Amino acid sequence: MNKPLRHVMAVLLACFTILFIQLNRIQVFGAEALIENSANTRTIQRNFDRDRGLISTIDGVVVAESLDTPGEVFSQQRSYPHGSLYAHSVGYLSFNFGAEGVERTYNAPLTGTTPTQELTDLTNILTGTDQVGNVVLSIDHRMQERARAELGERSGSVVALDPSTGAIRAFWSFPSFDPNRLAVNDGSVANEAWTELLEAEGNPLRAAMYRDRYFPGSTFKVITAASGLENGLITAEQPVFEESDGYVAPLTDRPLTNFAGATCGGNLTELLVESCNTGFGELAAEILGPERLTDTAQNFGFNVSPPFDLADPVVSEFPSDYGSLINNDVPAGVYENTPLLAQAGIGQFDVQASPLEMALVAAAVANGGQLPTPHVVERVENSVTLQTIDDVNPGSWQRAMSGDTAQTLAELMVQAVERGTGRAAIVPGVVVGGKTGTAQLGTDPPQSHAWFIAFAGRPGEAADLAIAVLVEANENAGNQTGGGVAAPIARAMIEQYYQSFGE
Amino acid sequence: MKARTLELGLLVLATLVTAVGFVTVGLSETADSPDVTFDLQGEVGGFLAVVVALLLAAHVVIRLFAPLADGMLFPCAALLNGLGYVMISRLDQGLADSQSAWTFIGIGAFCTVLLVVGSPRKLEQYRYTLAIVGVGLLLLPLVPGLGVEINGARIWLRVGPFSIQPGEFAKVVLAAFLAGYLVDKREVLTLTETRFAGLHLPAIRHFGPLLAAWGIALMVMIAQRDLGSSLLFFTLFVVMFYVATNRAAYVLIGMTMFSIGAVVAWRTFSHVQRRVDIWLNPFEDPKGAGFQIVEAAFALADGGVTGTGLSQGTPKKIPYAATDMVFAAFGEELGLLGATGLLVTFMFFVASGFRVATNARSPFEKLLAAGLTSLLGFQAFIIIGGILRVLPLTGVTLPFVSYGGSSLIANYVILALLVRISHNSMVQAVEEAEELKRTAGSLTVSSRTQAGWTAV
Repeated sequence: MNKPLRHVMAVLLACFTILFIQLNRIQVFGAEALIENSANTRTIQRNFDRDRGLISTIDGVVVAESLDTPGEVFSQQRSYPHGSLYAHSVGYLSFNFGAEGVERTYNAPLTGTTPTQELTDLTNILTGTDQVGNVVLSIDHRMQERARAELGERSGSVVALDPSTGAIRAFWSFPSFDPNRLAVNDGSVANEAWTELLEAEGNPLRAAMYRDRYFPGSTFKVITAASGLENGLITAEQPVFEESDGYVAPLTDRPLTNFAGATCGGNLTELLVESCNTGFGELAAEILGPERLTDTAQNFGFNVSPPFDLADPVVSEFPSDYGSLINNDVPAGVYENTPLLAQAGIGQFDVQASPLEMALVAAAVANGGQLPTPHVVERVENSVTLQTIDDVNPGSWQRAMSGDTAQTLAELMVQAVERGTGRAAIVPGVVVGGKTGTAQLGTDPPQSHAWFIAFAGRPGEAADLAIAVLVEANENAGNQTGGGVAAPIARAMIEQYYQSFGE
Repeated sequence: MKARTLELGLLVLATLVTAVGFVTVGLSETADSPDVTFDLQGEVGGFLAVVVALLLAAHVVIRLFAPLADGMLFPCAALLNGLGYVMISRLDQGLADSQSAWTFIGIGAFCTVLLVVGSPRKLEQYRYTLAIVGVGLLLLPLVPGLGVEINGARIWLRVGPFSIQPGEFAKVVLAAFLAGYLVDKREVLTLTETRFAGLHLPAIRHFGPLLAAWGIALMVMIAQRDLGSSLLFFTLFVVMFYVATNRAAYVLIGMTMFSIGAVVAWRTFSHVQRRVDIWLNPFEDPKGAGFQIVEAAFALADGGVTGTGLSQGTPKKIPYAATDMVFAAFGEELGLLGATGLLVTFMFFVASGFRVATNARSPFEKLLAAGLTSLLGFQAFIIIGGILRVLPLTGVTLPFVSYGGSSLIANYVILALLVRISHNSMVQAVEEAEELKRTAGSLTVSSRTQAGWTAV
């Protein structure tokens, strides 16, 4: 009977070999497809059950933490003690809707799963996910609260950042939403909240300050001025533009007018201080031309996706195509769409910028011409030892203009605050430079976006803060001006900065 | 190396592996929830003491009552049992507590069988009693008031707080019956009396009792919706018939019968159809019908080559992770390496079992050892193959690893019988060798004198 015995054994061993082969097919060769299968909820769930670090502001206020939820689907739930205040920066972690904000982009350090964390913390491997990462934001809680208070119930955005490092100090858009509603473990409750938020007025889910674009209006004149200075075509003093209440560009007979039908003119200093549309229209259309203005706009970060530690920032746009050259009646040459270029030069036509981008424009002026790389996270700490394991310091982004140009522009912007359209932003004892913007959207009923971009610093010292404030157009607010509506918010933010960060 | 020394060494190894697993699970439990007060030293000390005491007791019993038995079988079982316990404790502490009680009883049963059954050959004469007992055990759950239906299969007896699966014991008893019957009829079964379709077949009357017992058993299992056991029992039958007669024709007939039976079952029973559909297209309904098999596949994929680490995965997502699907839980947390380790352990067990069968002296013991080894080996193949989609998934336990009292005890009984047969055949072999030596001894002496004489 030993021969058939050997056969049976051979068959059984062959069976086990088949199992081994199949095991390899599933665990090694087929694993990736299985992990990515749409029915597979393991990756998300693992993320959920994993320990997750705290998120706090630079002044030590906890803005996101994990609460134990014994007996529920997941062992813990993310909680946001300040509700809507950080919804667009910290974001949320939701089983149904994934992650947003810092919760999304810093998921790996928060869960202790970056390669560095796993390597340096060998005990993790043996004992589990004890030590994770705490994220410290560069945002200051008091400035963030101040931004919310100043903007109130008006749709708009406030972005304040350190012009040399790009560290964001305040990052607020209204309307916002309560991320706790999406983070709950009960999926049906979260679904309900989501549907409601999607239909809510003003789209509160949208992080307007870095994911939405608006006409920058006159704040864009800073870039038009930079282009003239940078190309050596003008100086702060020369040439002197004609006093006018309407600039008529070549190829059109529709005049470009000034705000409230005013008459203005003079050299670049006067144009910027008074925010003179006619002068800037002429500068863009007749002296700069499409190519130079587009180049400068791109140097300032237009038409490029900005480097940012939050996902999917919107690309600010400056239209570059103005048709072909028709004649050389003006120094810059006349193109088919030169009239539109005149409009683009004052931040109208199809120019679109996010509040974040405009804050970076102010930062470049205050930072010697260099655009900083913006970031909302200051550092990542080990949750147990509290030692810094990642010092977020992304450095500069790109050069917007030369140091000399930046110096000249800074002086002009300081004058615009001291004696021009930005007087509402004056803060005693602080050097403030700024540029107003009033982007008119319509006349029936009249409404406009009110902008103010600014920088502030101690006399004789490097600037401490760059700001962009946008109060969105609203039928009921009429023609709200940047100087009247947005500049006071910027002033409040500057005052708050010196209260928060000391003398 | 002597068998007992090998056994002791392997037992130490199995204990170490189990203990490391236990410590890992304990450590991560404390890491996960600070509320759990886990006295590591105390717990591990207590656990180790119990494991060592149990294994040592069984080892001593083997040393005393079956000292010449194979040294691989028991350590393999101990390792599988130990790893199974660690995984169960990681999945469900309540089940783990029961499993430790079952392990106690299982090793008790092992020692008892080893002590009581001195010569398994004696079982041969009770073969018809065995047939009746086996079928009776199978039928018990169908008795109203006694049996209960759990998860769609009516294979359980409710006795006080315990659920017993008499079918687990019926398999062992029926294997003994088959061995007895086939040894008795072996010669007539190999005789050619009729020809059918070119095959030489013995007279149909010799099959009578066999087909009756087998047919009833199979029908009962199908009626109870215990497809895994039906498949296993069928395989056992074919294997033992083939080993007894050495006729490939029987395998062929068996396969044909199986195919016909499978088609009929597929057409008749909707639950059989469902199983086959799920096997072929598990991803058609991943949240419904295919849930179990799909979750197992996701678990295995998560594990990859090295696994997530014990207590670091999410095997609780797999339905029946502690019982039928335990292999998937191992694949997830210990990866391809750990799962292969289990496969290799089973292969060692199966190879050792067949070595016992090969060395067995009496035909009955040989057949019984082959049957019992096949039972265990094919059971492991059927459930792992089901999880890995080599076969349709049918619910049987993974021997020694899965949670389940009846299954664990029955497997320890199988182990005891194999150890007993192994020892007995070695004893006989030694006796025969001594016999040979005695006769050869005189020869040697004479040849040596002859040689000496030549030298002189």
